[in-house]
Order: sequence, then structure tokens, then C-alpha cells
Amino acid sequence: MSTAIEAVDVHKDFGNIHALDGLNLNVKTGEIFGLIGPNGAGKTTALRIVSTLLLPSSGLVKVFGTEVVEHAMEVRRFITYLPEEAGVYRNLSGAEYLEFMAKFASNENGEVQKMVDEAAQICGLGDRLKDRAKEYSKGMKRRLLVARALMSRPRLAVLDEPTGGLDVLHSYHVREIIKNYVQQHGVTVLLSSHNMLEVEHLCGRVALMNRGKIVAEGEPRGLIDKFGSTNLEEVFAKVVGLA
Amino acid sequence: MLRGFGNFLIKELKELIRDPKILLGMIIVPLVMFPVLGGIMSFSVKSAQENAGKMTMLVINHDGGQGSTVFMSNLSQTITIYNVTASNVTDAIPLMPEYNATMIMEIPAAFSQNVANNTPVEVKIYSVFAGVSMFESMGSSLIDGLIANYNRDLAPNVVRTNKSVIIKGELFENVDPMQLSGLMLSQAIAMPITIMILLSYSMQIAATSVAMEKEEKTLETLLTLPMDRFAILAGKLSGSVIIAGVGALAYMFGFNYYMGSLTSIGTSGAGLDLAKLGLVPSLFGYLLLGVSLFVTLLSALALAVILSAFAEDVRGAQSLVGYVYPFLFVPSLALMYVDFNTLPFVLKVVLFAIPFSQPIIASKSVIMGDYLTAGLGIAYVAAFTLAIMYVASRLFATEKILTAKLRFKGLRDRRKVPVESSE
Repeated sequence: MSTAIEAVDVHKDFGNIHALDGLNLNVKTGEIFGLIGPNGAGKTTALRIVSTLLLPSSGLVKVFGTEVVEHAMEVRRFITYLPEEAGVYRNLSGAEYLEFMAKFASNENGEVQKMVDEAAQICGLGDRLKDRAKEYSKGMKRRLLVARALMSRPRLAVLDEPTGGLDVLHSYHVREIIKNYVQQHGVTVLLSSHNMLEVEHLCGRVALMNRGKIVAEGEPRGLIDKFGSTNLEEVFAKVVGLA
Repeated sequence: MLRGFGNFLIKELKELIRDPKILLGMIIVPLVMFPVLGGIMSFSVKSAQENAGKMTMLVINHDGGQGSTVFMSNLSQTITIYNVTASNVTDAIPLMPEYNATMIMEIPAAFSQNVANNTPVEVKIYSVFAGVSMFESMGSSLIDGLIANYNRDLAPNVVRTNKSVIIKGELFENVDPMQLSGLMLSQAIAMPITIMILLSYSMQIAATSVAMEKEEKTLETLLTLPMDRFAILAGKLSGSVIIAGVGALAYMFGFNYYMGSLTSIGTSGAGLDLAKLGLVPSLFGYLLLGVSLFVTLLSALALAVILSAFAEDVRGAQSLVGYVYPFLFVPSLALMYVDFNTLPFVLKVVLFAIPFSQPIIASKSVIMGDYLTAGLGIAYVAAFTLAIMYVASRLFATEKILTAKLRFKGLRDRRKVPVESSE
């Protein structure tokens, strides 16, 4: 299996704060890879660097062999990024928002329409897509955004807390969509989550992050067995010395 | 063509036009407010003029001679007068409601004799002060005019003037400089106000538009799209220019109606054709003015974009842009009434250094055919704009657009505090 993301000794400093402290990461094509860890562990910073939003202070990051600093525009052509607190344009309808985003992925009207139709199916908002986004609930917005991130079938989807703010049913719905996309379209997914249960069920492999570096990595089941725990939460507690 | 620019610009325009605050504040209010204001002014002036014509005055005539009779007869051709019997004005005041009078005139005993001897004589006029309005003195002015006419009839051979003006070395006969100056002043006021409003509105739009991306958390997604970062900046600037342009048109349309309402009822400048007097810009002058306005607008917008990049939300962005407003308002207000060329050297340098002065300076200098001043101003603003645009484009090209924040506490401490997310 080829490498989708390769990060080598990545550091990121914000003034005196070391958000990433020698991050090493290897995500394979077609897998769902989860970054888990507490607030401030550096998950979002890592995702933002992979998504070309932030520049690493040092180290090397490649997405499908393309270096993210020197060739950021090229990387942006085959990734989509869903930020943790993403919003939608209040005065555009859901359909207009999807069309606006699809036009960055394709110049052909037929392709754009295909993407919008697919997104409509993913988010399941039906006729509400005609309404302006300011009338949407938080859950509706999140479903729209997840659909936007997947509709263009990117080679890599970077999803920061994809089910954040969603209720149980909608979270389940979104998780199923992500799983299906990986299986059907070979999309690689790098996601972060606070919800270790979610990660356990969704991700093929996970990396536990603490204080800007990865402290453990592997298949969820393997990590649980390795540390003699019942779930990933326990694994994490043992790894960082809390248990 | 910048990748993604067209798509982004359409999105920007949809967002801006559909924002009720912008639609209401920039387009509907100027379109409605100025005509309504003009209508009210027009109505007020007309009704004041009509009331002045229908004015009723009580006259206490202590003279009773032929001179005062002729004098009163002259007045009564324009206003209604009642001769009342009262020993002084205090006795006459209670009679005013009965006659619906707003003025009292007291003619002294020796009026006719003094007039016959060409000796100055004083008539006392008492006006009711009913309220604060710009038309309150209209009645008094009318009486002054009537008395001046009476005096002229008595002494028709007094010295009269025939006024002419010399413009750009050319003589224009029978043009009253006072009337001309009044007309030019009304024009000179309109341009700075329009520029001031256009710049401040468009800065608000640009700042709001960038800050909205941050506040609504759409900026992060935008920055990971396969589009040129400069296209985002260009889209924001273009969207703001277009909406501000429409707003300025709405404003000018409304303001023009308002000015039209005033000049149609006033006498200042009546019969003067500025084009014939060479007091309108030439085609080249208009071109210079347009270029000056455009580059200044660009610099103002780019400055607004930079400032808003340091704000966390719309309110913060608007506050930051507010710090620039004195640099818009001071030159506009100053240059409304004074001629740039007559200012002391230091003030000239200060005003010239403020980029937002340039279109106002240009608007006056091109009328007078001084293209050098306008040209120098354009060169200066263009250099300033390039510098500002460079800073703005660097800001968008780097992660600073996402991470830079200016804390007001930090501002008070006179130092910039970048705050970065460490998650």
C-alpha cells in the first residue's frame, strides 16, 4: 500500500509554545487514520499543517509524495479539509454553498452538478438545501460540511472532529458515510477526535498524541491488547502515565 | 486570470447583496433618505416663503405724515399691515394674536420730516421668535429688502455696482463673484462628502467581509481550496468596490436630488453656467479624478482588509477600521471650505500626506486646470496603494491571515500580540 501522508520530525512553535514536538506520521493510501489525544495535544496543528494551512517550523510533510510547503497549491488540488469549527456562508443556500465549493474542484457544469447531487445525498438535507444556511441547525451545518468535504471524492480528506456537535444518530450517519466512502472510492481519511469510541470503530489505525508528539500508534485492537486494556481511553491513560 | 477569482467574486457579491445591513445601509437609505430630506427642505423653504409673503405686521405710527403713509403703502404691496393705536410696543404685543401678526413696526414721530430732509431715521422692528429654524429670520430679511427698495426709490442715483469675474485670466462680465462662490461651494461640499461616504462605507464592507469569514469560521476552509490566495484578496476588494460603487451611485443620486431641491428654491448661483465659465473639469481632468478616486479606494480597502485580518470578529474589525476614520473625515471636512493652495505649507504637507485627501484635492485642482497637483497626488497614492496591497497580499499568502490577532489590551500597551492556536 502506498503512502498518503508522510511526516518526519515535524515541529511547530507559536512563540514559546511548542505545539508539535517532533511529530512522525505515516498514513497509508485508502485507510482511515485517527489522531486522538486531549486538548492541546497538537492534533489540530498537525491536521492544519497537512492541509497547507500552517507552515511547520521544521521537519518534512508530504501528501502523496508532494511536499506541503513548497507545493501547497498542488496539494490543495487533491485534499479537502473540514475544520473542527467550520461554518457555512449565512446568506448562501446549502445548494449554492455546495455549488460554490464544487466549482473549485471542477470547471465542468456536469461534474459540478454531479458533486452537488452526491453531496445532497450524503447530507440528506433534501429540500432544506434551498434554504439559506443561516436557518440551519448546528447539526444540519455539520452534515452539509461533511458532504462538502467528501463530494469531490478527494484523494485525502482531512477531518477535524467530523462528528463534533452532532447528536448520536447524526454521528452514526456521518461515520457510516465516511466508512462507505473509503470502501467505495478509495478516499484516504485523516481525522481527529476526542471520542475514542468513535475512533475505535471507524479507524483502521490510530495514533495517540500527547504534548505535540505521537506516544503510541497502531490498530485500535492491537493497542488495546498490547496495553492490556478494555478500550482506547484506558490505553491512552496508561501511555501518558495516568493509570 | 487568478484561479478561483470569478467563482469567489460571485459568492462575495451574493453574500454582500443579501446582507440586509448592507442593502439597507448602503443602497436603500441613501436612495430614500436624501430625496425625503430634500422634499422636507423644499417644503419647509416654500412654506416659509409663502408665510413670509402672507406675513402680517402691526404698525405703530407716531408720525402720521405723508412720508410714513407712502412708506407703509410701499410695504403693504408685499405684506399685510395693520395700523394700530398703541403708545408703545408693549401695548401692541397683546394685539398680535388678534391680527395673527408676527412683527411690529414702530415709526418715529419725525419720520416724514426726516425723510423729506434726507436725514437718517430709524424705524424699530420687533419680530416674534417662535422657534429654532433656518427660516426663522426670513420675515426680518423680507422687511430689510422692502426697506432697501424704498430707500432706492428715494435716492435712485446712489452708486451701484456691476460685478464681473476673471477666471483663469479670462474676463466674464455680469457674473457676481458672491453668487459664483456660493454655487461653487455647494459643489465643493458635495464631492468631499461623497468621497468620505464612499471610502468609509467601502472600508466597512471590506473589513466586515473579511471578519465574517473569520467569525463564521469559513476562512480556514477557504484557505485550503485550490485557488490563488491573491484571488481571495482580489475577490474581497472587487466585491467591496462593486457594492460601494452601487452605494455611492445611490448616494449621489439621492444627494443630487437633495441639492436640486435646495438650488431650485434658492437664488444662489441662479443663471450661472459653470461649463461656460470653464469651471467644470475637462475630459482629461475627469480621467485624473477617476484614477485618483480609484487608487485611493483601493488603498482604503486594502488597509481595511489588513486591519480586519487582525480582528477576531466583525465588531473587532469595525472598531479597528474606526481608527482610520479621522484620516478620512479631517481632510474631507477641512477641504470642504478651504482651498488647499491657500493653506500654510506645513498644513499642506500634512493634508497631502494623508492618502484619502487626494481625490478631494484632485477634484478641486482639475477644475482649476492644475493637473500637476492631481498627477502628483495620484503618483503618491499609487505608491501608498502598492505598499498596502503588498502587505495585504503577504498577509493572505501566509498563515498570518489565520493566526494574527490584535488584542485591545495589547493596543493600549502599544504592542502587537500575536495569538496562535496551539491545539
